[in-house]
Amino acid sequence: MYWSELAWLIPIFPLIAFVVIGFLGNKLFKKAEGGGYVAIAMAAISCFISLMVAYEILSGGYPGELFKQSLLWINVPGQDLSFTFNIGIYIDTLAALMLIVVSFISTLVVIYSVGYMHEEGEKKRRYYAIISLFIGVMLGLVLSSNYLQMFIFWELVGLCSYLLIGFWYTKPSAASAAKKAFLVTRVGDIMFMLGLFIFFVGFGGNLDYEHIFNFNFEDFVGGNSMLTLGTFFIFGGAVGKSAQFPLHDWLPDAMEGPTTVSALIHAATMVKAGVYLVARSYPVMVETPDTMLIVAIVGGITALMAATMALNNPNIKRVLAYSTISQLGYMFLALGTGGYFFALTQEANAGYTSGMFHLMNHAFFKALLFLSAGAVIHAVHTEDMRLMGGLSKKLKITSLVMLIGCISIAGIPPLSGFWSKDEILASVWETGAENPIFYLLYIMGILTAFMTAFYMFRLWFMTFKGEPRDHHAYEHAHEAPKVMWVPLAILAVLAFGSGFALFMGFGEAIVPSIEHWHAHSEDIAGILTTIFSEWQTYLSIIAAALGIYLAYLMYIKKSINPDVFVATPGRKKVYDFLLARYGFTAGYDWIGLKVVYGLSLVVDWFDRKVIDGIVNGFASITVHLGNVLRKGQTGFVQTYAGVVLAGLSLIVILLFLLGGLI
Amino acid sequence: MAIDYSALYPVMVMVVFAAALPAIHAVAKSSRVLAGVSLVGIFVTMALELMYIVSGEYPAAIGGASVELLRLDVFAALFALVFLAVAFYVVLASARYVEKDRHQAEYFSLILLATAGMMVVAMAVDLITLFAGLEVASISSFALTAFRKKDKRGAEAGAKYYVIGGLSSAIALYGISLLYGITGTTNIAGINTVLAGMGSELDIALLLAIGLLIAGFGFKVALVPFHMWAPDVYEGAPDPIAGLLAAGSKKMGMVLLFKVFLVGLIAIKADWQLLAGVLAVLTMTVGNVIAVQQTNIKRMLAYSSVGQAGYMIIALAVATPYAVEGSIFHIITHAFMKGGAFMIVAALAYVALGENIANYKGLAKRAPFLAISMTLLLFALAGIPPLSGFVSKFVLFSAAIDASQIADQNWMFWLAIAAILNSALSLYYYVRVIKYMYVDEGSTKDRIKVPWSMTAAVAICVIATIVIGVWPDPVIDVCEQAARALFAG
Repeated sequence: MYWSELAWLIPIFPLIAFVVIGFLGNKLFKKAEGGGYVAIAMAAISCFISLMVAYEILSGGYPGELFKQSLLWINVPGQDLSFTFNIGIYIDTLAALMLIVVSFISTLVVIYSVGYMHEEGEKKRRYYAIISLFIGVMLGLVLSSNYLQMFIFWELVGLCSYLLIGFWYTKPSAASAAKKAFLVTRVGDIMFMLGLFIFFVGFGGNLDYEHIFNFNFEDFVGGNSMLTLGTFFIFGGAVGKSAQFPLHDWLPDAMEGPTTVSALIHAATMVKAGVYLVARSYPVMVETPDTMLIVAIVGGITALMAATMALNNPNIKRVLAYSTISQLGYMFLALGTGGYFFALTQEANAGYTSGMFHLMNHAFFKALLFLSAGAVIHAVHTEDMRLMGGLSKKLKITSLVMLIGCISIAGIPPLSGFWSKDEILASVWETGAENPIFYLLYIMGILTAFMTAFYMFRLWFMTFKGEPRDHHAYEHAHEAPKVMWVPLAILAVLAFGSGFALFMGFGEAIVPSIEHWHAHSEDIAGILTTIFSEWQTYLSIIAAALGIYLAYLMYIKKSINPDVFVATPGRKKVYDFLLARYGFTAGYDWIGLKVVYGLSLVVDWFDRKVIDGIVNGFASITVHLGNVLRKGQTGFVQTYAGVVLAGLSLIVILLFLLGGLI
Repeated sequence: MAIDYSALYPVMVMVVFAAALPAIHAVAKSSRVLAGVSLVGIFVTMALELMYIVSGEYPAAIGGASVELLRLDVFAALFALVFLAVAFYVVLASARYVEKDRHQAEYFSLILLATAGMMVVAMAVDLITLFAGLEVASISSFALTAFRKKDKRGAEAGAKYYVIGGLSSAIALYGISLLYGITGTTNIAGINTVLAGMGSELDIALLLAIGLLIAGFGFKVALVPFHMWAPDVYEGAPDPIAGLLAAGSKKMGMVLLFKVFLVGLIAIKADWQLLAGVLAVLTMTVGNVIAVQQTNIKRMLAYSSVGQAGYMIIALAVATPYAVEGSIFHIITHAFMKGGAFMIVAALAYVALGENIANYKGLAKRAPFLAISMTLLLFALAGIPPLSGFVSKFVLFSAAIDASQIADQNWMFWLAIAAILNSALSLYYYVRVIKYMYVDEGSTKDRIKVPWSMTAAVAICVIATIVIGVWPDPVIDVCEQAARALFAG
């Protein structure tokens, strides 16, 4: 008996919670946090199974390192038309890593929710039902054994995201943020679908990972250019889901949802689905270096751009949202780099591993940061950092764990963020030898590292240090209850230490399922020597330290007045430009109002005048014909018998005619 | 040498139960008891057939080694299951439907006998046994149609059905005798062997026989132009019996055509394939076009059945195992979709809601379960995914396209096109019913209560429609086996 054989149960438990809470919540659990405890129990059970399964796969406990299980769903035989869809489970080390991240953080967030959502009354039923549904379908996405199944779950997590962003749907800003998230990710989803169509045809009507990864790419229908288009569209799906340039603008708005939702869905798990998709598709992606280059460039641009937007934003959650986008950009940069390097040299560099490493580390420290921010918001009832300040005296635990998160994301050794970020930047530099554009991407990465350190410490200083700026809020602030700070403490430990996974064989375990991909294996001393004998390492540490120092000068020592950045009209313009998110928000609206709506008017006219005209004409012909034929139905049995005989005669004549006898 | 009759055991169970019912009626005067006993009989028979399919072992054929008469194989067992499933929910829905009628025992008895006849047809490998089974089923259903003999419409329907049925039987028998005259055998596979040996020379008598057989058996399928009896009979017959005719008897007609044409006359398929194609398109188009104009829901469903038969005939025109697989699959899904719809009509007629489509206005508020069930079944009939009708139509139509890639068969492509256009057309009159139920306001909002047995019959059909739609593969698998068994002779 292997734990992996129980993997199909993992998504089932949260789905049970969804059904029970969703339909019976207000009857059974009115006094029990609206079913929150059921959600916790179910999430915990599936977390337990997930951890066991992941351990089994990662430690090589399951023979063959790969667990596969598949049920035939639809099979259409035939020559050109044949295709097969399966429903199944596919767990390799990548899926195992995602299982750990998703199930573990989900459980902590649901526990935390009991404190955070305590005052929501009857809405709690809806909250716990949907969040359970989300956990179930997200785990289903991770476990899927083929692209179609993944796409189904992909859409379902999108639905949950929509429902939870709009949790307070009576608030207009939340309702429109939910709509925006749904529509913008939809652009990506459609690209994903197009990619699947190309894959479906190209890979001979079977979307199973196993089939595709072992496919002889020479036989791809449409050749390599078509395959490139296919992987490009698949990446398009990832761009939408993971909020990458230019489809990134929905994520800051998504902060309208409860902070727990931001932490779980919009930082730690769902937005990683795009990264997961690219990593999952690696065996195909490395066949198309052009796509990989695009992945890297989009990642690099997003990382830098989102970081600049975080520099001057006064809203604590928005800063974290931009930071998420920026860090996701790092992951794509890493994946693109690794794949491009492999495609060109047929040798593995650290791109893939460091991308997935950063995914894991980021999940922990960003969940920590969001939940800490939640604790702050819970205490002062505002998200505006200009109304905070000095809170470290009141929120001792929160300020401490958040500081750990900030140091980690800033990339100061030995906290987790440092290891993965450093590896990403090192592999980008290494790839510069193949294509100089990667040197540019490296510079962007270093700039991003500097800005990240700056805006995170700006956030921390503004929130916790200095004098309280809103005394009323300050007086009423209180530390979060135990049910909230215990999950924070657990996450803080992980945000501190998850980077040490590097010394426990992370690099050898998390490799794509490509046959001639050889990971370098080194002992602890070897890894450390490699890292600390490169000048790039010191450059990134210096960049981070400078960022922190600048934040310190501006917000603690006040030797630099932040107002100098708006002192001249030119500077003010830049400042406002960043606040306006480079005009993307307005751009989306313009596209929606002018382009899409204008196009809709044309299509509407065409539909009403031309299509409806044809349809109506056809319909009236049919109706008249029906009337004529109906009149033939006289009700007299003589007529019927006569028609039978006449029909028989006609048929015989027809047969003779076809046979050529007449 | 003693004859091994084990292939007939399932039929015998049905006949024994049918014979026992009048005796039971003498003791227990309750339609529910009679229905219960019938259900037991059907259930036992189903279990027997299912056992054969699951085990994959079938009893020896009845008849001599060279001239087999009846053979129980996967094809026969699968169709027997379809007929039995139809009989099952017809009986279930009838339990209360006939509670005030006389001759209740005979009613259930006849349903079992009609089913037994259909099962014989599915097993027959000789034209004589085929014909015998057909007559058993037909005569039982004539009587069932006129079951309420005081009801004018029922009596008229019964008389019409009988006259046209007799005429068609005579025509079919004439065709059979001509075939016997040409080939010297009534064994269906034997006929094919002889015809294959005769070469490609065309024979007037043979063409005449083809025409007569299409007309004679086409009556059962309600093939245009032999369809005119169908709406009158469906409308006049008791509602559950209309379901039996549409879902059971009609499928038997398909079996007749499959056996005679795809086994007996496959050697000369070039002579009749195009004709079958023409009839398929004609049947689906006429059925759907007239259905658009109907105001009575039973007549509408009857014409829709005519249209659906047109889709199934595609398999005859294409004449490949894959197409037959699709057709058998569609027969199975149709048995649940159309049967379920008729059961809903029966349930609503039981509570004295009229048969006019306009009477269904506002039904969603009055009987939510029946309304949603009707909606699902109608969507399935139109071929909306993920319901069963979509999958079966998909397999059927793609078979036509698949076959059209062979030279000289390019015209088969148009069969699929015609079928798809017809499906779009059919959506119109299906959705109209749904619109009445959900969008329009009814004259009253009183809740409708129907007996649980009818609800159960509807629920079986709806569940089957959804499950087969979402996970069709096991069913398709059996259909494929059945199609192969048919072509193996």
